Amino acid sequence: MVKETYLHDKHVALGAKMVDFAGWHMPVQYSSIIEEHKTVRENVGLFDVSHMGEVFVSGKDATAFLNKVVPQDIEKLDYEKAVYCQLPNKNGGLIDDLIIYKLGIEYYLVICNASRIDEDLNWLVRNKRGMNVKIDNQSHNYSLLAIQGPRAIDLVRKMGYSIPSQQSFTIKPAVIEGIKLLASRTGYTGEDGFELLVENEYSEFLWDKILEEGKEYGIKPIGLGARDTLRLEAALHLYGNDLDESTTPVEAGLSWSIPKDKRTDYNGKEIIMSQIANGVSKKLIGLTMLDKNIARHGYEVYYNGEKVGHITSGCVSPSTGKNIALAYVKNIKEICPDAVIQVMIREKLHDAKVTKRPFIQKRNRVK
Amino acid sequence: MNFSDDILCTKSHEYILKGDLCTVGLTDYAIEQLGDIVFLELPEVGDEFAKGEAFANIESVKAASEIYMPVSGKVVEVNTDLIEAPEKLNEDSYENGWLVKIETTGDEEEFSDLLSYSEYKEELE
Repeated sequence: MVKETYLHDKHVALGAKMVDFAGWHMPVQYSSIIEEHKTVRENVGLFDVSHMGEVFVSGKDATAFLNKVVPQDIEKLDYEKAVYCQLPNKNGGLIDDLIIYKLGIEYYLVICNASRIDEDLNWLVRNKRGMNVKIDNQSHNYSLLAIQGPRAIDLVRKMGYSIPSQQSFTIKPAVIEGIKLLASRTGYTGEDGFELLVENEYSEFLWDKILEEGKEYGIKPIGLGARDTLRLEAALHLYGNDLDESTTPVEAGLSWSIPKDKRTDYNGKEIIMSQIANGVSKKLIGLTMLDKNIARHGYEVYYNGEKVGHITSGCVSPSTGKNIALAYVKNIKEICPDAVIQVMIREKLHDAKVTKRPFIQKRNRVK
Repeated sequence: MNFSDDILCTKSHEYILKGDLCTVGLTDYAIEQLGDIVFLELPEVGDEFAKGEAFANIESVKAASEIYMPVSGKVVEVNTDLIEAPEKLNEDSYENGWLVKIETTGDEEEFSDLLSYSEYKEELE
């Protein structure tokens, strides 16, 4: 059966086009993907991302346990801080990518992809043998509302957001419109904004209130279509497209997120550290098409007449009007920024320029 | 002229308007389902296609699709304005948003499985 978020009927009432995504019946667009995209870049948008997984990890060994399953150093994670993590298998391939939040002493929140909750839970449980850890999947009890865009901060302040200052990648208990929730200054758009974790029973009230109070800032509800174009402009990876069990974080260009001095052993560490030291055979690159054609997931990539890889994500970039993509290619030094390579689209090769990621200037860092 | 009264539609969402030259395009429903149109590739004048053959490519932000000939024909006119501004299809896919005009090359029988606009709308429900 296809699952519905607590806010499902709100989307239908707003006239959203609904699609099945990762087992959920979700809004793909309310008006137009391009219009929704621009709303988030210029003003503020509201997303229902309640399909995502929320897993609480607690117990005496919670820190040691998480440290064993992700390359990031959870021992160094401060209270109320968040860290972008990957969940590698024994070969360094990715079971999922996650954000881990430290909520208290030996108490963490893990937010994971909707499509991977079962695999993640299975893997976490298999790795906790002998440890004093409680893994509590609360995905069904919480809604997650994302407010994203340059006006997001004005909007939450107007709604009584109780925190005087909050940095990016932190999470704090907050009160908004009288509702107790967890406010995380994170997102998946490249813009500043918040993700509000709220108990289901308050989510409909909060959804309506945000749309009402956000009118003066030009707020719109935003579907998964624009969520995808926003994240791709910001070159944020999408699990299932740009990451999977056959890609390591090093190949995916995520080495920046991996500490080189972490002492604790974790799954895939040997391979990951060896790839950081010795290089990789494939790498993720950004592309900008040089004509009007759009490179899509799965299309083949060529260099000097030789097939060197494939596109993982591609779309029109509504902010620039250019067509952008991410691709895995053979790691050869000639394939570097400004090099011209080709994408096979409908049996013809089309030129594309290798482009530094992200494709837009990100504005999500708030001190 | 009221397009919806006179066009015939395919189940794959193309329409054809009969005349000395037949006008071929995509239905309003197809455009609405695709969403923001960002790319259109049309054939050349003189190209010939069989009924059911792909003659054009269209892409919205989300997806790429092929467009099929409702009947066999030879392209005699192409709506080149649309290639430069495919987003115009989101406003209208009939009066100004037609794709190609063709001379039919098959027999009348090829029209027999096409649906009237009202039958087409019923089919969608």
